[in-house]
Amino acid sequence: MTTIDKLNDIFRMVFDDDTIQIHSGMTANDVDGWDSLSHVNLITTIEATFNIRFTQKELLTQRNVGELIAGIDRKLTA
Amino acid sequence: MNSTSNDNDNIGYVCSALQCERGLGKKTAMRWIDAHGVKTNYNFSDLENQSNRFSNAISSLGIDAGNVVFTFLPKMPEQFFAFLGILKTRAVCGTLFSNFGEDALLDRLGDSGAVGIITRKSLYKKVSRIRDKLPALKHVILVDGDDDPATGVISYSRIMAEASSEYQVLPTSPDTPSVLHYTSGSTGKPKGVLHRHGSLASQMATTQDVLGLKEDDIYWCTADQGWVTGTSYGIIGPWSLGVTQVHYGGGYDAQRWMDLLAQEKITVWYSAPTALRMLMREEETIFTSADLSSLRSIYSVGEPLNPEVISWSRRVLKHDIYDTWFQTETGAIMITNRPGLEIRPGSMGKPFEGIEPAILADDGTPLPDGEQGNLCVKTGWPSMFITYLNNESAYSSKFRNGWYYTGDTARRDDDGYYWFMGRSDDVINTAGHLISPFEVESALLEVAEVAESGVIGAPDELLFEKVVAFVNLHEGHQPTKELEIKIRLHVSNRASSIATPQEIIFCDSIPKNKSGKIMRRVLKARYLGEDPGDISTLEI
Repeated sequence: MTTIDKLNDIFRMVFDDDTIQIHSGMTANDVDGWDSLSHVNLITTIEATFNIRFTQKELLTQRNVGELIAGIDRKLTA
Repeated sequence: MNSTSNDNDNIGYVCSALQCERGLGKKTAMRWIDAHGVKTNYNFSDLENQSNRFSNAISSLGIDAGNVVFTFLPKMPEQFFAFLGILKTRAVCGTLFSNFGEDALLDRLGDSGAVGIITRKSLYKKVSRIRDKLPALKHVILVDGDDDPATGVISYSRIMAEASSEYQVLPTSPDTPSVLHYTSGSTGKPKGVLHRHGSLASQMATTQDVLGLKEDDIYWCTADQGWVTGTSYGIIGPWSLGVTQVHYGGGYDAQRWMDLLAQEKITVWYSAPTALRMLMREEETIFTSADLSSLRSIYSVGEPLNPEVISWSRRVLKHDIYDTWFQTETGAIMITNRPGLEIRPGSMGKPFEGIEPAILADDGTPLPDGEQGNLCVKTGWPSMFITYLNNESAYSSKFRNGWYYTGDTARRDDDGYYWFMGRSDDVINTAGHLISPFEVESALLEVAEVAESGVIGAPDELLFEKVVAFVNLHEGHQPTKELEIKIRLHVSNRASSIATPQEIIFCDSIPKNKSGKIMRRVLKARYLGEDPGDISTLEI
């Protein structure tokens, strides 16, 4: 399973919407319910699933799904 | 400037038709900016025509005066057209926060007996899962969907295209029910706070005299229309005065927000402490490089504004922030800071003209200045709620000897400034939203592994209060990171993202008294490392 496939499952679970299809340019404005509080749920779930930990600085620089995927992949290969 | 002189107090009428009659038909009512920055201007004639179409559309479905119809949409133009259109028919318009989950929706749609809802496909999924429990809900209008007679789903595009843009608003008395918002208490289900068209008098007066809006202002209220600020001051107040509003469909983004303030030449901005505290954490260059020369005033509402935020704003934004206080039940600003009144950072300010607050002891005795007590308001202001829907006893319990008991505690200083001290109940104020611990506990108990739970609010630098859940698991289950995530997501999806516990503490038991009531004050003391006080009634 690729990072984007795993992440897609996480999005569907976090936002309770099994039709979500993520893409690299997707931002919080494209997903109903992606607010600052559900973002915490999203990051917590990502960290637990991939067994990684983001720094505060990394979180602030991730502005779309593509950057989130890149951040995950960087952690996994580090 | 303000007028409802033709004897029609209908909010929908005043916010659109009356403005056209005043010669403002071609004036921009709403500058809509979507999440991607695309701008569309709607003038007051557009507002009138679109809301008329919606009135005709729902009337053709048989929706009539007194029926309850909800909007369940993110911020988007259709929400505003529907809101005004529903009110024009003298039906009651309820608004739902778009992040509500199934439990929250079921409570609100079920209790109100709503006959209709306007939503969109991505949100309708939540409604469809509970629709068999909502026998009264006959009409579902989808702004982005097609007709589906089998499920009673109606295409917004079609019914709007077929409807006339002419609609005669029938005379509406001030006591006619208008807007419905649900609010949380410390026990039981959320209560439906019902307002009346006569609330307009308070909303207009405070918009004019507190927010200081004038006809040439460009005004931006960041509140979601799911909450009272979003309707009283994001729709009714400004449009009843013919003021241009900017509405933005995107979420929080410091750079984008500063760009909006600058590019749209916003003159008055109404936001919330949590958003302002988030801005404080950003790089200062975002603000120092922004041209805020058009901005005249900044206001805040939701939870107490810390002095640090005011100090930061003075230094970085070069503006004061005027904190305002009101509740869903009060419908309009009651106690407030405003231009011309010296700001005492951290204070709620002083009462608005005609509003008579008091600090009363539990037995109703007035307390001297400086002493903390129940913050009460003398009844009779125009935007006072008219009932808790289907819960007259709860409504009555809020009033004693001509005073409305707000549930907040406060003190008044020698100079007449009011200072918020806390809540007199267990309700949690997180990011300006009231959360019932009971609702969160109920959602937690739906998780198979959870045996019992107790939920409290704890101080938080960003959110004012955060939701903290104490959870006792059934035998055979161990706390794990995966279980914690499962619990968080369950509450978020069943209740709402704002109700999600920010902290989950696994424990062996939940303290209860002999009648089984969760002793949240003991949990809170335990969390804060304080003395729990009298625990003689503690069962466990």
